[in-house]
Amino acid sequence: MNFWLELILKLVAILGFVLTGALVVIYAELKAGSHMQSRIGPYYAGGRWGWAQPLADGLKFLQKEDLAPAAADRTVYGLAPYVVMMSTIAVFVVIPFGPDMVGRDLDLGIYFVLAVSSLSVLGILMAGWSSANKYSLMGGLRAAAQLIAYELPLVLVSAAVVIQAGTMSLNGIVASQAQTWFTVGGVDVSAPFLIKGQIIGFTIFMIASVAELSRIPFDMPIAESELTMGYLTEYSGIRFTMFFLGEYAAMISLSAIAATLYLGGYAVPGVSGNILNVIGPGVMLAKISLLVFIFIWIRWTWPRLREDQLQHLAWRWLIPISLANIAVISIFKVAF
Amino acid sequence: MTDASDNSAVETAAADTGSSDAETVSDLDAYAASLVESLGALGSTVEFDTVRIHVANDRWVETINAANKDLELFSWLSAIDWSKEVEVGDPVDDVDALDERFEVLCRLSSVKNGDGAIFVTVLPKVDPTIASLEPTIAGAGWHEREAHEMFGIEFDGNPNLIPLYLPDDFIGNPLLKSYPLISREVKPFPGDVDVEPMPQGDADAIEPDTLPEDEEDAS
Amino acid sequence: MTTPEMIHRSDAAVSIELQTPDMTINIGPQHPSTHGVLRLIANIDGERVRDVEPVIGYMHRGYEKISEVRTYAQITALVNRIDWVSGFANEVPFVVGVERLVGIEAPPRAQYIRMILSELARISSHLVFMSSYPLELGATTPLMHALREREYILELIEEVTGGRFHPNFNRVGGVKPNYGGGSTTKKQSMDLPAGFFERTRSAMDRMDKICEDIESLVAGNELFKMRTVGVGVIPADKALEYGLTGPNLRASGVAYDLRKVENYLPYDEVDFDVAAQNGGDCYDRYVVRLEEIRESAKIVRQAVDKIPSGPLQAKVPRVLKVPKGQVYSRSENPKGEFGFYIVSEGGKMPYRLKIRSSSFSNLSILPWILKGQLLPDLVAIMGSLDFVLGDVDR
Repeated sequence: MNFWLELILKLVAILGFVLTGALVVIYAELKAGSHMQSRIGPYYAGGRWGWAQPLADGLKFLQKEDLAPAAADRTVYGLAPYVVMMSTIAVFVVIPFGPDMVGRDLDLGIYFVLAVSSLSVLGILMAGWSSANKYSLMGGLRAAAQLIAYELPLVLVSAAVVIQAGTMSLNGIVASQAQTWFTVGGVDVSAPFLIKGQIIGFTIFMIASVAELSRIPFDMPIAESELTMGYLTEYSGIRFTMFFLGEYAAMISLSAIAATLYLGGYAVPGVSGNILNVIGPGVMLAKISLLVFIFIWIRWTWPRLREDQLQHLAWRWLIPISLANIAVISIFKVAF
Repeated sequence: MTDASDNSAVETAAADTGSSDAETVSDLDAYAASLVESLGALGSTVEFDTVRIHVANDRWVETINAANKDLELFSWLSAIDWSKEVEVGDPVDDVDALDERFEVLCRLSSVKNGDGAIFVTVLPKVDPTIASLEPTIAGAGWHEREAHEMFGIEFDGNPNLIPLYLPDDFIGNPLLKSYPLISREVKPFPGDVDVEPMPQGDADAIEPDTLPEDEEDAS
Repeated sequence: MTTPEMIHRSDAAVSIELQTPDMTINIGPQHPSTHGVLRLIANIDGERVRDVEPVIGYMHRGYEKISEVRTYAQITALVNRIDWVSGFANEVPFVVGVERLVGIEAPPRAQYIRMILSELARISSHLVFMSSYPLELGATTPLMHALREREYILELIEEVTGGRFHPNFNRVGGVKPNYGGGSTTKKQSMDLPAGFFERTRSAMDRMDKICEDIESLVAGNELFKMRTVGVGVIPADKALEYGLTGPNLRASGVAYDLRKVENYLPYDEVDFDVAAQNGGDCYDRYVVRLEEIRESAKIVRQAVDKIPSGPLQAKVPRVLKVPKGQVYSRSENPKGEFGFYIVSEGGKMPYRLKIRSSSFSNLSILPWILKGQLLPDLVAIMGSLDFVLGDVDR
């Protein structure tokens, strides 16, 4: 019984975190984007600063008719948003928010993360194909090409982290960043991997994450001005909400992974033991927020690349650089 | 300026514009004459700073292409329907003397200076056909499509003479003078109201506006 | 699914080549990048556009026909709806053409007001381009910044004319007189509002500022350059053949500006340069428009300094009788050469009015320029031509 109780509690916690997190990020995007564009943004919903705008939007979406094109493959069409949503939520199972604050500390944590998060491609392809719309199809195909191209650098730079940490467990990676790096005057100094030589890896991870998320400047699968809304064109109502929430949840999950891999996760230098279970989530949330803000910032700043330029960037630059990154990290790992 | 309150005065006013800037006009006349000579055109008309070169319709493409060497910019192509029977608008000035015809106009401009001329050719009202400019000046393609659907003029050699503006199943050529404007049939001409004199004051002219002195400092 | 043909093909297995037929994709009439109701029937092979057939006419309002039953005074109200982004600039060539026919000339002050407002309309039109073009490339933020600045321009136009988009401010023989106010206001001139010139000057300072911002934030952006430099190159000879004018032509290296060569407003009394580039690509078309905002601001500043005092209206007859004749009057619209061919038969209405709109010719190059381009470039090129569908369809 204990096992089931724990399971349910963890499920509720993860679901609650992902969904409220997504709403908060949506609000942050609305508000931050507005201020970058010298607008006010949401103002009325909720009475103050428009805090309830995402909720109001969500409610509105729920009331919308759930339309499906006549020629659509209805089963696949209906399933696609849930595949995307599921793959995003599943990532949170292994993300540690504290030494014990983790859904399940898998030994193959990072492997699981990369495997599960790339499942969302499947959902997007399903959506693009089953919509029976040429724009959707092109969007789906673009998404597939793009996610394959960017999954690779993502895996390669994560491999470099795994080599440096010597473990694939996310908790282990955090722990290895919390280890003493060197001691100066009796003070133990620990540093996250970002400082310990992974700055290139972190940059590539962030670029690839933006591509994974299909956000500007890599939003070709959606590309409003070209493909109207890409694979989302035909979706409405609750299913569109699923995609929408999924996108923002994925933003949190990728930020959480980046925070874990490069920014030291929940660890705070000089703090260890049970206290981390208390302050860990806060630390983690702060780091996630920082990275999410970077995503938002990029989104409202840059124009969109072209599909061939994106592929060019991935295959000609990011993948060779991340391979070299692995080599350099390995050499340092062996040498020191 | 000229007191243009009646018709005859207006006629002289038009002539005045011509003579007020005598140098320009003689320049334009000379320019038109040189164009006519070099292109072997039928003649020219210069009025209101606008040069029209009259071209025989069987030498249309040849002339335009030759002129296009100097007047590089193809500006537009259109047509005029000269018709005795007018469904909408005012009829022509002298109906009896009117020679019913289509005029096809093509404007070419120079991009080095303000030079430019409108080339005009005459087509019969029945079965108007002319060679297309599209093979040599690709930009004329759309303009010819427009003239085709609006006036029913055939352009030989334009591969794509499908309707440009109008729906595919539209019947008629809207810019023909014989084509009625349905809304005008239903509702009387709103401009009729304007031509009545205003109830008060001299209807001939409004006074030139004067500046209030205190507004002067605004500049 | 299993037609006999398919069974046959699967039997043939490896020996047949994979069939990849082109896909016909219908872009528009409702599509985010077509600025209204343009429809493109595109044949695409993957991301590559084989050929494009533009379908226009969804906004055809038949102005040429309607003009045949409108008096000259009424037509100004029509023509500023042709290219609604720069309504004022459309009226000018028409009234200038009618003035040439009638043989009157607008007083200098009226001409200067026309010039100031034409340039303001140009700035506002180009600011719309500055905002919408990055949006087509996916950058959302320049939209808000450029539109915010445009608001200052529209306020100025509204202050003078009473309308933000459709001023209908030009009259044959000048600009809007104080008409119909009864005998008490009849002698009173309706001049520019007090303080207009100060506000114009400060607005022009804002324009310089926003030009700097746009130059560094958008035109200087690496990703923006990647998307536009070398994309959609229009050589000068092609541009001339298709009748491209305005910034699109000037970006191709032809410094042709009607403000310099056509005598329709006192542009010879102000000092400005013709912005031109040589590349003919999307980036150059963008930069030319950016430069033109600066040049227009320059013109407006000088015009505001130099504006003579005097009447706003020449003496014109109550009932405008236009003599028989044909005139072609053209002007440099923000989008290019905008002209009216007025055929008068002496009546109160034109016998025929041919409207030469710039966007129509600018758009006619689409089938040629889009052949063989990538789908994302289609959007980039189409946006860079800066057309308004009302101007195309008339």
